[in-house]
This record gives sequence, C-alpha cells and structure tokens, in this order.
Amino acid sequence: MTDTYSINLTRAPKPEKGTKSPSSAKRIFDRVRRQPLTVAAFFVIVFLALVAIFAPLIAPYDPNQSDYSTLLSGPTSAHWLGTNDLGQDELSRLLYGTRVALVVALGSVLIAAMLGVPIGLLLGYRGGWTDRLGSRLVDVAQALPGILVALAVIAILGRSLWTLMFAIGLIFTMGFARLTRAVTLTERHKLYVESAHVVGMKERVIIFRQVLPNLVGPIIIQAAVFFGSAIMIESGLSFLGVGLDRDTPTWGGMLSGAVEHQAQQPFLAFAPGIAIIITVLAFNLFGDGLNDAITGGVRKSPRKKLTTAELPGMSNAPTASAATLPGQTYSMGAQDAATAAPDATSPWDSRADEIRTPTGATETLPDPVEGAVLDVRGLSVSLERPEGDVVPLVSGANLSIEPGEIVGLLGESGSGKSMFAKAVMGLLPPRTRLSAGSIMFDGDQIAFQSQRALRAVRGAGIGVVFQDPLSALSPVHTVGKQLIEPLREHKGMSVAEAKERAVELLDRVGVTEARSRLDHYPHQFSGGMAQRVAIAMALAADPKLLIADEATSALDVTTQAQVLDLILDLRDEYGMGVLLITHDLGVVAETCDRAAIMYAGEIVEVGTTTDLFHAPRHPYTSALLAANPASDAQVDRLPTISGRVPLAGEWPVGCHFANRCAFATEACTSAPVPIVDQVRCVRADELTLEAVPR
Amino acid sequence: MGKLISFRLALAVPQLILVALVVFLMTYLVPGSPAAAILGTSANPERVAAVEAQLGLDQPFFTRLFTWFGSAIQGDLGNSYAVGRPVTDMLLERMPATLSLVFGGLVVAVLIGLTLGLLGGTRPGSTTDRVTTTITAITVAIPEFWLGIILLLVFSVQLGWVPVLAYTPIEVDPLRWAQGLILPSIALGVGSAALIARSMRTSMAETLSARWVDTLTATGMSRRRVIFRYGLKNALIPVLASTGLTVSILIGASFVVGQVFAFPGIGDLMLRSVIGKDFPVVQGGVLMIAVLVIVVNLVLDICYGLLNPKARPE
Amino acid sequence: MTTTTPNTSHETEASRADEPLLVVEDLAVEYESAGAVPWRRKVSRAIDGVSFEIFPGETLGLVGESGSGKSTTGRAILRLNDAAAGSIRFQGTEVTTLGRRTPLSYRRDVQAIFQDPNSSLNPRHVVGRCVDDTLRTHGVTDPGERRARAEQAFDQVGLSTDHMHRFPAELSGGQQQRVAIARALVLEPKLVVCDEAVSALDLSTQGQIINLLADLQAITGVSYLFIAHDLGIVRHISDRIAVMQRGHLVEIGEAEELFTNPQHAYTRKLLGASPASKPEGRDERRARREAFRQMHEAETQLA
Ligand SMILES: Nc1ncnc2c1ncn2[C@@H]1O[C@H](COP(=O)(O)OP(=O)(O)OP(=O)(O)O)[C@@H](O)[C@H]1O
Ligand code: SF4
Ligand SMILES: [Mg+2]
Repeated sequence: MTDTYSINLTRAPKPEKGTKSPSSAKRIFDRVRRQPLTVAAFFVIVFLALVAIFAPLIAPYDPNQSDYSTLLSGPTSAHWLGTNDLGQDELSRLLYGTRVALVVALGSVLIAAMLGVPIGLLLGYRGGWTDRLGSRLVDVAQALPGILVALAVIAILGRSLWTLMFAIGLIFTMGFARLTRAVTLTERHKLYVESAHVVGMKERVIIFRQVLPNLVGPIIIQAAVFFGSAIMIESGLSFLGVGLDRDTPTWGGMLSGAVEHQAQQPFLAFAPGIAIIITVLAFNLFGDGLNDAITGGVRKSPRKKLTTAELPGMSNAPTASAATLPGQTYSMGAQDAATAAPDATSPWDSRADEIRTPTGATETLPDPVEGAVLDVRGLSVSLERPEGDVVPLVSGANLSIEPGEIVGLLGESGSGKSMFAKAVMGLLPPRTRLSAGSIMFDGDQIAFQSQRALRAVRGAGIGVVFQDPLSALSPVHTVGKQLIEPLREHKGMSVAEAKERAVELLDRVGVTEARSRLDHYPHQFSGGMAQRVAIAMALAADPKLLIADEATSALDVTTQAQVLDLILDLRDEYGMGVLLITHDLGVVAETCDRAAIMYAGEIVEVGTTTDLFHAPRHPYTSALLAANPASDAQVDRLPTISGRVPLAGEWPVGCHFANRCAFATEACTSAPVPIVDQVRCVRADELTLEAVPR
Repeated sequence: MGKLISFRLALAVPQLILVALVVFLMTYLVPGSPAAAILGTSANPERVAAVEAQLGLDQPFFTRLFTWFGSAIQGDLGNSYAVGRPVTDMLLERMPATLSLVFGGLVVAVLIGLTLGLLGGTRPGSTTDRVTTTITAITVAIPEFWLGIILLLVFSVQLGWVPVLAYTPIEVDPLRWAQGLILPSIALGVGSAALIARSMRTSMAETLSARWVDTLTATGMSRRRVIFRYGLKNALIPVLASTGLTVSILIGASFVVGQVFAFPGIGDLMLRSVIGKDFPVVQGGVLMIAVLVIVVNLVLDICYGLLNPKARPE
Repeated sequence: MTTTTPNTSHETEASRADEPLLVVEDLAVEYESAGAVPWRRKVSRAIDGVSFEIFPGETLGLVGESGSGKSTTGRAILRLNDAAAGSIRFQGTEVTTLGRRTPLSYRRDVQAIFQDPNSSLNPRHVVGRCVDDTLRTHGVTDPGERRARAEQAFDQVGLSTDHMHRFPAELSGGQQQRVAIARALVLEPKLVVCDEAVSALDLSTQGQIINLLADLQAITGVSYLFIAHDLGIVRHISDRIAVMQRGHLVEIGEAEELFTNPQHAYTRKLLGASPASKPEGRDERRARREAFRQMHEAETQLA
C-alpha cells in the first residue's frame, strides 16, 4: 500500500534510540524511590509485617503467660515495657498485637474493596436511575459514623475476628464505592472512552480493559489510607471491649487495661498508643507518597536538561555570588555581579546597558525609550524546579509601548508570552521569578520592587484581562462586589458613587441592563459577556496600560471581533497603551500597530504590523505567515514548519529556531544570536523571505 | 432561599425513610428470637411463643413494618429488654451529654483546623507550611481516645484536677459544664482539626493559584484583602462539603472518647446494649444517630448552597 | 520547510454523481439536565431539523459559534448521542433505530478524531495498544497481522514504530493527534468525523495534520465531516460547508461560493468577524462591523 502512494510527509522526530519507554509501574516505582519519607514509611510497614509474622519468635514471653510476682510493674530488665494487672509481659502483648492490627486491617480493606469497587463501577458506568438511587444509598451509609455501623454489625453477628473484619470493612465499602463511582464517571466521559465506543468495543471490554486500569492508582492510594483508619477503628473497638476477647492481645485492649489501672501504673498507656501512631502514620505517608508519585506522572513540567552546572553564567561568576542560587547569578549585569545583593528583590541597576542571558551571551540593551508607557529591557524569567535546577523561561526580552499604541506579542504555546506579561505585572507564579531586566512603567522602575510598591502601580496604572473570562472572576462573589471594591479602595469613592461608576463601566463595555446585572454571579454570564465584565474591571482604575493575555482566544469568532473592537474603541477613547498577547496572526493583523514575535523564550522580531506581514526579516515570522490557513492564497497544501518548538530547558546554544529553519548555517548554531536592529537572526540582512502579498 | 431549603428537604426525607427501613430490617438479621433474648436461654418454648405473640413478632412482615413505622413516627421505639424502659426516653436522657461533647469537639476542630490550614495554605511551600503540614500529618494518626488517656493522665492523675473533670449537665451549672468539656473536647477535636487543616490548606492553596486572584491583585488589592475578602469564601466551599463527614467522625469518636472520660452519653448506652444484646436500644440508637446525621447534613447542605451560588437550584 | 504537493484536489463534480454516503434528515437531539426537584429532569433540544448529505470522498465543513450544535451533530452520527427525531442513513441503512449495540460494520465504516488528542488516548496504555485493541475488536485475531497493520498505520501518519511503545504523555500534541488519526484510519473507514481535530494544536502543527488528512483522503477516498470554528482551516480543507446557528443549519453550499457569496445573515456576520490574513483594509472592516452592529441595534429597538 505504502509504495504506491508516496506521501511526502513531515516525519515526527524519532524518539531516542534504545530508550524503550518504561512501564508505568516502573516509573511510579522510580518516583517513589526518590521520596525519602515514602521509602521510610515503606520500610516501617515491612518491619511491622515482619514483626507480625515472626511474633512468636521474637516475643520474650507467651503473651498470656501470667507472672503474679510482678503485677503492674514499670519497665524492668525482665519486662522492658512492664507488665499488666495479670502480670503479663507488655512487650510480648505489643508484638502479638501487631498481628491482630495488621490482619484485621488487611482483611477489612480487602473485603471493602471487593464489595465497594464493583458497586462503584456499576453505578458510575450505568448511570441513570441505578446511579441516582444507588448513590443516595451509598451517601447515607457513608454519612453514618463508622463506629456506629461497626457496633450494629457486632450486635447482630456477635464477636469474632471475621465479624470484626466485616464490620470495619463495611465502613470502607462505601468509601471505595464512592471513589470508584466518581473516577468512573469522569473517565466515562473522557474522549478515550468515547473513542473506544466509536471503534466498537463492547461495554464490558471498555470497563475492564480501558477504565479499570485508570482506577488502580486511586484505589491503591485509598486502600493505604483506609489501612491506617482500619487500625484506628480496630483499636477503638478493642478498647471499648467489643473487638476480640480479652485473651487475644490487641493494642486497644492493652490501652483499656492501662486506663483501668492508670492510677497505679501510668506508664502502660504509652507503648500501645505509640505503636498505633507509628503504624497509622506509616500507612498514611505511604499512601500520600504513592499519590504524589502517581499523579505526578500527569503533571508536565519543562524537561530537565540544562543543569545548573551547564548554565554558563555560573562557571565564570565571581565567587562571592557563586554561593547564591545560580538563577540569581547569571542574570546580574556582568559588571554588577560582585556588588549585587544576593536576594531576588535587589533593585535592578537601571543604568546597566547589557545583560548576561541564560545561554551565556552578553547582550547589549537598547536605549531607554523616552515617553513610553511601558519600556521593558532585558527581561528574563527563570523557573526553579523542585529538583533544584534553574530553567530559563524568558530570556532578554525588549519591548516598549507608547501611549495609545496597541502592541501585539505573538507566539506559539509555551513560547513564554504569558510569563512575559506576568513578569511585567509582578504576578509571577510560585517557583518562577524575574532573574534580570528593567521594567519602566510610565517613567518608574517597577522591576524588583516590593509587592507593596507594586500595588499602587497596579491599581492606578495597569489593567489586565485574561483568556478564560469565567476563571478570571471569583465564582462565589457577585460581579458588583468585584467591581465596586477596587473603585472604593483606589478612588476613595463612597459605595453609592462606586456603584454608579460600576454601572457606567459595564454599560460602556456593552453589558446590557448593567444595573441589575451587578447582583449576578460570573457563571450567570455568557463567555463574551463575562469577558466584557473582566474588561470593565481592568478599566476601573483608568489604566495607562492594558494587558490582554489571549483575551479573545476562548471566544467565538463573532464575539472575538466584538471584544477586539471594544478594545480598539477604548484605546481611541482613553488613549492607553495595550499589550495584546495572542497566538493568532489574524488578531495581530486586525488590531495591532506593532508586534513582537516570540519563539522559545526569546523575542525574535519586532516591527510594525505592516512590515511584519509584508517584509518579515526573521525566517520564523515568514514561516508563520506562510502556515496561516486564513491566507487568501488558495493552495492545495498548507506550508508547514517541520519539527516542534524546543521546550524550556532544551533550548540549543545558538539560534533557538535553528533545527527548524530552512536557512540554518554553521554560524547559527555555534553561538547565541543577539537581537540586532529588532531581529534575532544572523542572516537577517542577506535573506529574502517569503511574505504576504500586499 | 425557600427553594434551596425545600430542594434539600426533598432529598432528606427519602434518606430518612431509607434509614428507618434498614433499621427495621435489622430485626430480621439477629440470630435467635428476641423473646429468647429477653427470657434467657433456659425459658421453655411455650413462654417464648407467648412473649413473641405479645411483642407482635408472629405477625406477617408488612403488618410488622407498618406497626413499627407508625410507632417510630410517634417517637415510640419499643422497650429495652434489659431494663424494660422506653428506648426513646433512655436515648433522650443521654442525648445532651453526647451533643455537648460533639459540639465541643467541633469547636476545637474548626478553630484549630481553619487556623492551621490558613497558615499553610496562604503560603504553600514556606517553612510555616512545612511545619503545619508535619504537625497535621502526625496528628491525623493519633487515636482520639489515646490522646484522651494521656490528657487524663496528666491532668487528673498527675495534677489531681479530678473534680473539674466530671460531666455536669448544662442546666445544673453552665460553668462546670464548660469546664468538664475542655479536656474531652480537645481529645475529640484535635484529630478532626488535622483533617480540616489539611483540606483547608489544599483548598486555599488551590484557590490562590486561580486566575481571578491575579485579576484582583492586578486591580491593586492587597494580598491580605484578596485572601480574607475573596479567597476565604472560595476556599471554604470544599471544606464545608466535607464537614458532614467530620461531624460523623466526631460522633463516632465521641463514643470512644466518652468511655475514657466516663461521659454518660449515647455511646456508653449503646456499648452496654451491644454487649448485653439489648436489641431495641441498639436499633433505637442507630436510628437516632442516623436522624441526627441526616439533619446535620441538611443544615450543612443549606449552608453550602448559601456559600456557593452554583449549588443553588435554579 | 514547506513540502511539495501530490495531487490532492478534490474532484467535487465527480463525487456528486455518486449516491450520497450519509444522509441526515431533520435530525434532532435532546439533552437532559437536573430539574428543579431531584427526581425531575429538564429536557432541552440541542439541535433541531438538521439535514445534509455527505458524498464519498468529500469533505463537508461544519462551522458555527460554540454551543450551536456542531459537536452534537457529529456525536449523533457516531451514535454517542441518541436522535430524538429525524433520520441518519448511512449507505442507505437507517442508523438511528439500530438499538443499543451498534453493529461492528457501522463502527468500522464511521470513525472519529476528537479535539483534545491528550484525553482521547488512554493515559495508562502505550499508544500502540490503542490501535491494536481497535483491530482486535474488529476480529483481527492474528497478533502478527495486527502488528503489521498497526505499523503500517503508524507509518502512514508519519510516526515510526518506536512511537508505538510510548505513553501518550510522552508524545507531543501533534504526535498524539497522529496516533488518533492512525486509530481512526486503521479500519479503513468510509467516513471520519473530525471534531475540532486541529483546534488544540499550534499553528505550525495544525498545517501538518491538515495536510496529512488531505493526503490520506486522496489515497483512501475517505469522507470527512470536518467540524471547526476556524473558518480559514475549514475553507482550506472543505469541498462544501454547512453553517449552524443555535441548533439549526442555516446555510450549506460549495466552499468558495459560500465564502464569496454568503446568503444567510449569520454567515455574513461570521465571515465579517473572522480575522483577515493581512492588515490592509482593517479600518474598513471595522467600520463595516460597526455599521452592521448599529443596524442590528436599530432593528432590535424597533422590534
Ligand atoms: N506556573 C508555572 N510553573 C513553572 N513553569 C511554568 C509555569 N507556567 C508556565 N511555565 C512554563 O513556562 C514556559 C512559558 O510558558 P508561558 O505560559 O509563558 O507560554 P505562553 O507563550 O503563554 O503559552 P500559551 O500560548 O500556551 O499560553 C513553558 O515552558 C511553560 O511550561
Ligand atoms: S539565525 Fe540562522 S537558524 Fe536562526 S533564524 Fe536566522 S538563519 Fe535561521
Ligand atoms: Mg499563555
């Protein structure tokens, strides 16, 4: 088949040779191994299991052997943990008690899983009436206190080991059923299950081969936690005297004896209690660690590659600052490194005219732009990963915005657009931070300032609008409250004034019946309307700069056009500068005066919109334009850019675009490419690039 | 509001009926005849049959079901085999002690839990967070009754404060009632406090990483204000959703802790009845606690609807 | 960087002569949601009176605002939602009355590619397995044959056999989408419902997948129902385009014809709103939108 049609495809890059992907169990194991607490908990569990199995061998006495010469003694050399009121050795009883604790816990969790998981699968997968009725039952049963359920079962069935396991198991059955149902419900609506339907798999096959494997993780975690609870409940029941009979040594039973005789021998209460705590703690910690290891696999973070040692700034940094975190050293202006204070909030020396980029190059910064509302120079952001290494996310970005100007920031997902915007606002997420750069807002330096200082700037000068309007508003507060409060705080308005102003603002951004909608919650608005509310909030402070981070990407084309028009109108009206972050060339074409193109953490080209579209100077810009499916040129095949964007932490030394660039040469990959005359390409001047015809 | 309450009530009523039905069915699960249990094993068959007839045990299933439901609705849960008194009276006598203890435990759990959770959740990853997380992880593993034993050991045995430790009904002396509740409440509440702290921490940390926190911060609002005026309400939603479970855990644990402090509560009565096979009392106790739990959940559900606009019926 | 073309132009005229592959007539689908009291359910119509045909080897684009019922239409054809009224006929056979179990033959002929490539693959299985399971479901019992066909499918979509042993999380979005395409095409279906199949991908990857779909169509003669909100892409790949608004199909026509001479007011609005590929004339476009809006406002005020 394949030889008759030769498809000229851009082939996906081959995975590295010989690295067969390890099974998920192995990867979880690897991750667990790197969590010392989990490993410790695991060894405690193994130790307890060994004690339980070999109790007869290690116990110094028969647990029921009474020595009436030493009743209620404290610790002695013969009885390390003392003796009880019958002269029985507490240590031996403690060791034997491990048996009961573990056996009952194991038995009850197994019973619970065997009953609960099928119930949950049935409810979750069947749905409809079965589910509505069944889950009500399960909910009521789970709401009852566990001890009460156990007491009732014991009252009916009498006391025995099996009753105890069944009684405790019944408590957890509902927990397993609920968990299984919840996971099944979410999995059932996932696309892979729908895909399985579409290829015609039978329901049974889907449940057992597709859904069940996804349940294993959560069930094991839950089991580990239930294990701990089972031990607690068992000891409680034994303490109450409704567990096993008194001859069988149990931790709870020992404690009940200790209470009776606490006046004579207070020491007896400690050992069994501590045994319970350690055992429960071990199972809880193991469960938590397993949870982290399993869910950690889904979380995506930039690849680990560029290690601290490889960060060029490190090796030749002065010794004084080499002791501090590498992320802090490489970024200081080279001449400042020795004098710079080592903490992250140290003021950036705005006189510096060059920075050291994460890739080790020294870059000359452009001259400050007078009169710009925002002037960013050399902005670099880095991420400190839990493993301790530092990964650059944005490197040496320069961008200025004049009053009344709309500047686009265009790039593919993960190129660092949002990080740039967040750095400007001083709202970088945990673990990421500004590592270098000067951010002048309306003539004031706002880089490396305290949160307190930034508050004034934010409230009065910068407005932000994010992508998903619904998540940009607090879901449990009315939009009125969220609009009015900032007005009161910053403009010192009275409640009535602020309310009037809020109505005015909502009206201005096109929210109909503004007054009555003040009392509405965000979820009562459509996406487009919610985005208008978010814009109203950003406008509340009469900002000089509006930052819109993919503000229209989640909206329909028609709504997108309306919101973009609104931004254009507001710009005309208020004369503010706008930073418009987008991945859509069309949005840039329709709205921006100038734009910056971002690729893998770097700004690769800045120019007027017309120049960028009709005379691009960077190969990436040109390639993006060609790949735009909206282009009028009706071609049979879309031109594409082969390969993919290198992830943060995997950036090459030279031009970040080199592995996908049709014009790459030796010079491109050997050394970092500086941005010169608004283009970051060594061959910018010699290339003639494809452009959009006028 | 009215709609919310009626919606929740509409859910609670079937739950009550369901629980009552299960409790009734328990009668059929007991091995051996209740009459034999009353009369002792040595009774002759004729007397057993006579007592069965007297108790209506020879009636068909549905007759018994309706009779039982009818009297249960009127508050008649039968008489104790052991002491012959009405079960309802016996349970109601002991309700105040149990409620006092659970209430005390809840106060401790909520106060400590929310505080610790807030401390960690507002600064995830900080030293404060690591310390509180460690404390809660250990505390979760401490059995309530053991903590009670230790507290008792220190305060009663070592310090000799025995007189203030006994339970005094509130109508007798409110001050002593409160004094007597301090230690048991701490013993009971600390474990649940750790659970609340953990859930509060997670939910607060998650809340504060939401987009709208950035939006509000970008309007120039102080972090303190964002946390307390906006974050708290959002973060409390999942915590409130699990409070029903917390109360249920507290009730269960109060049985055991009550034993340590010799509390004359329902737990104590239930325990004796389970050991003494006094079946109507066990049945009545289960029913009464179940009703309590359902009512608590009803109230919590309504609070949840008030807090979370999305949970209100349209 | 750009790749050259084998002939993939779709011969619309020729396909027209054939019998339609799929006929949708007056289709309606309803959704249930929780009502005011716990035991009541609220029923709402998501789509109503939708009719169109798809011919062999043809691509029908389906556009419209979010919530207009595009995906619901696709899901009804895939039998993931039941039809409340109307009919869907595939090669002359009525599909809506098939009952609970869908015959395997229909499953083989009608396949799907969904929007989010990440969640459309089982995270716990290596991606090779999802193609393998598909073949197994359709009675290919010989493991050797399954393997050969899976390898061929991976090869067709531009992946190597090494990729088969990876978990979805270890592939990029574009690669995941290629796997989803391999799964859909390994059965050699006659119709593939592509629901926002490239929307989650980056610009540079989008083009690769679009080209791949076009190439595979040229080879196998498969038909696509291509659901998307991005008009540029739909225009590029479709032979004909249908426009939906609030559960109704408002216009259907040849792709170029619809773009150059839209009939329905909503289609015009949609076209006017979608961003152009170059900055020239944007002030006029903005003025036109403004005029349109004011006209609309005046109309609603009158009414
Ligand atoms: N909270 C975070 N913690 C750590 N790394 C992050 C975080 N958020 C983003 N990153 C990483 O930072 C890099 C740049 O991300 P950024 O969000 O700025 O990209 P973007 O251009 O806005 O992408 P998109 O178009 O998808 O929004 C990516 O490698 C991403 O994985
Ligand atoms: S520097 Fe070289 S590789 Fe980079 S864009 Fe320019 S020509 Fe291409
Ligand atoms: Mg972003």
